[in-house]
Amino acid sequence: MVEVLAENREVAAGVQQIVLEASNIDFSYENNYKVFEGINIQVRSNEFVGIVGPSGIGKSTLLRILGGFLRPDRGSVFLNGKEIKRPVPEIILIHQSIITFPWMTALENVMLAPRSMRIPDEEAERIARKALEDVGLQGFENLYPKEMSGGMRQRVAIARALAANPTVLLMDEPFAHLDELTAEGLRQDIYNILFRSDTPLKGVVLVSHNLTEVIELADEIYVLNNVPATVVEKVHVDLPRPRSPRDERFNQYLDRLYSLLTPPRGKRGE
Amino acid sequence: MNEYLLILLAVLATAGRVLGLTLFSVVTGWLLAYIAIRGRIFETVYISVIEVFESVPVISFFPIVLVIFVERIGGVIGVELAADFLVFTAVVWNIWMAEYQAFKTVPKEMLEVSENYRLSFFSKMKNVYIPFSLPRIAANLFPSISDGFFYITLSEVFAVGAKTYATFGIGTLLSSYVSSGNYFAVYISMLMLGAVIFVIIILLRMYSRYVVSKYTLDTDAPIMRRGRLNFRQTSRVLYVLARNPLGRLAGYYRRAPRRGVYEKEEESRVGRYMAVSIGLLILSFIVYGAYSVVSAVSYRTWALLLSQTPFILYPMVVDYARIAVVLAIVFIFSTLLGYYFALHARSEMIGVPFLQVFSAYPAPIYFPFIYIAIEPALYRLIGGYTSDLFVILLGFISTFYYLFYSFWMGIKALPAEYFDVMRNMNMGFFRRMRSVIIPGTFPYLISGITSTVNSIWGGFIIAEYWPGIYGNRTLQVQTGLMKFIDVNTQNGNIPLAAWASVLFGVVIVVYSLLFTKKMMDLAKKRYVAEEGIFAA
Repeated sequence: MVEVLAENREVAAGVQQIVLEASNIDFSYENNYKVFEGINIQVRSNEFVGIVGPSGIGKSTLLRILGGFLRPDRGSVFLNGKEIKRPVPEIILIHQSIITFPWMTALENVMLAPRSMRIPDEEAERIARKALEDVGLQGFENLYPKEMSGGMRQRVAIARALAANPTVLLMDEPFAHLDELTAEGLRQDIYNILFRSDTPLKGVVLVSHNLTEVIELADEIYVLNNVPATVVEKVHVDLPRPRSPRDERFNQYLDRLYSLLTPPRGKRGE
Repeated sequence: MNEYLLILLAVLATAGRVLGLTLFSVVTGWLLAYIAIRGRIFETVYISVIEVFESVPVISFFPIVLVIFVERIGGVIGVELAADFLVFTAVVWNIWMAEYQAFKTVPKEMLEVSENYRLSFFSKMKNVYIPFSLPRIAANLFPSISDGFFYITLSEVFAVGAKTYATFGIGTLLSSYVSSGNYFAVYISMLMLGAVIFVIIILLRMYSRYVVSKYTLDTDAPIMRRGRLNFRQTSRVLYVLARNPLGRLAGYYRRAPRRGVYEKEEESRVGRYMAVSIGLLILSFIVYGAYSVVSAVSYRTWALLLSQTPFILYPMVVDYARIAVVLAIVFIFSTLLGYYFALHARSEMIGVPFLQVFSAYPAPIYFPFIYIAIEPALYRLIGGYTSDLFVILLGFISTFYYLFYSFWMGIKALPAEYFDVMRNMNMGFFRRMRSVIIPGTFPYLISGITSTVNSIWGGFIIAEYWPGIYGNRTLQVQTGLMKFIDVNTQNGNIPLAAWASVLFGVVIVVYSLLFTKKMMDLAKKRYVAEEGIFAA
């Protein structure tokens, strides 16, 4: 199944259009510490993009800029050619900490997305049930988050994101709070969940410090380094799916990323 | 004496009373909290007593207090002690509870270090318990002092039967200026009191910030992070978290399991026996006190009191209806303003201190001026309901900040990620309120509502029967429990006023057990926003 999907996408590769684009982004924190300079990122149709960089370089900040949660000092973010100036349901952010609402059941948590789009309750429930089914939570609709494992909660958060029918999904270390077995299981599922043919989802941006995870999932990897951060290299991952960390070429990609990231570089010119 | 100097001295005397009694509460609270954590019997009695007195507005025991201090002790000291006792009961409970909770939650590792080095009692208090309790105390100082100011102007001048008692302070001075028609002095007094309260609030805010930044343990959880980790923001959130209504909320979580066996073994036997003895002593005092009060009242008086009970219950029902109205207004006001402030940092920076100063300023001082300014117009509009409207207005003024602060703190403590989700999904105002904000702040709302309902009585006891509110005018409602207690106290019918107070106390405790506790249990079970964030 995974291979078929990947093949379909490769077929379409020739006509891949840009869905999300960050152009020439500069950003500083309130204390005038300059985080980014001249960042350019493009997410093409049906593309899974990874962003990696040393700890503290601003990966999550960049994701928040892509989502319209933060305004860059310079440059712009475009979704299908239209400038993004504030968060929109077309670009949904999945946080590093798994966010659910404890007073709502899994179903109600997911229904929140279509309800916010003023979709009538009956239809919202149908969408939510479908999204829960897509992430493998059929039969768990009436559980409260407290009654679920971390992996199940993250699936609820993903289902809620999918129920909003986003064009782009931004994932901020989505597996960071899960144990390795659960994370690996979810990683294996995630690609299929996200790029099912019946979703309007066109692109995913994943931020992670786990290089194996990024190579396993991403088509393009943007490597950030330096202070202020710039894109030091864009790595195209040309591996068939499913990808195995034991594969020799997989490890070549891994070595490549390590060499780009270690040691973390200081200010440019140092 | 120069009039300005006299006013200044009176304001300082009033402020000194409030601050002095607050300090007294803090110091006694440390000792009691230490005894409480060492002995289970004392702990149980102590916490139950605080819970009851926290729920029952002490102002309803005004008649009893007056009898004990004014009639049994008498003289200047008796009047001073009566005033001080009322202020003390206004400021003490949440401070004592905060100290107990702080002592109870000192990290085990810290205690182990202190045990390891065999620190003495004083050394442990100085280096571990007291510093650890300071942020919680700082958080509780504002509401305590604010309550203290509210009650002090009431308690400086009071009447029992035909006699009026007064003690030196701005409340007494204002009352004499009003009766002599010296309005210039009234305005000067109000200004000076306002200035002193303003300075106190500003100093309190500075002190709170300092204490939180110095004495709060660094317990940054990822869920509390807003953007980059930032110490200033961390302490701000902890500051918000450490404040009063949360302390009340935490009260419902207070039945924390006792610490490990190791500590128990280390506990000194003498200390334990001492705590048990003090616990038993207090318990026997309470039982003896109750017995002596009941047995001192004759059978005939009891029969009379029981026959009057329906005439007490009806006004109580009427007062609860008034509470429902005040609560609805306070709720709408608090949620709208709290939500606005949470989203507009600049307005919040000015608005919150302003509301703090306003709510600490004793309403009984300026309320007569509002009354005289709008009463005629109101009477033309709503006729016989005018008095009720004033009661509701004073109820609102004297309590709105409880719910406002609770809600505001609740919304500030909501994980930043919830705001991201709301923005991301483009949720409208009502959807945000209904799905996220109200459920997410539910525990805070319940604690705020409880505080509001309990404190409203303070406003009602003033407004339902206020002879000489302005000149010869009397503000009074047709029926109301607080008016009933007030009128009977003023007529010297202390047993009936006390009986009404007891019945009222019983209703309050039952309400607290049936409603508040249930709601808090529900809040604890389902509406803890932090539990929605999984950050293993």
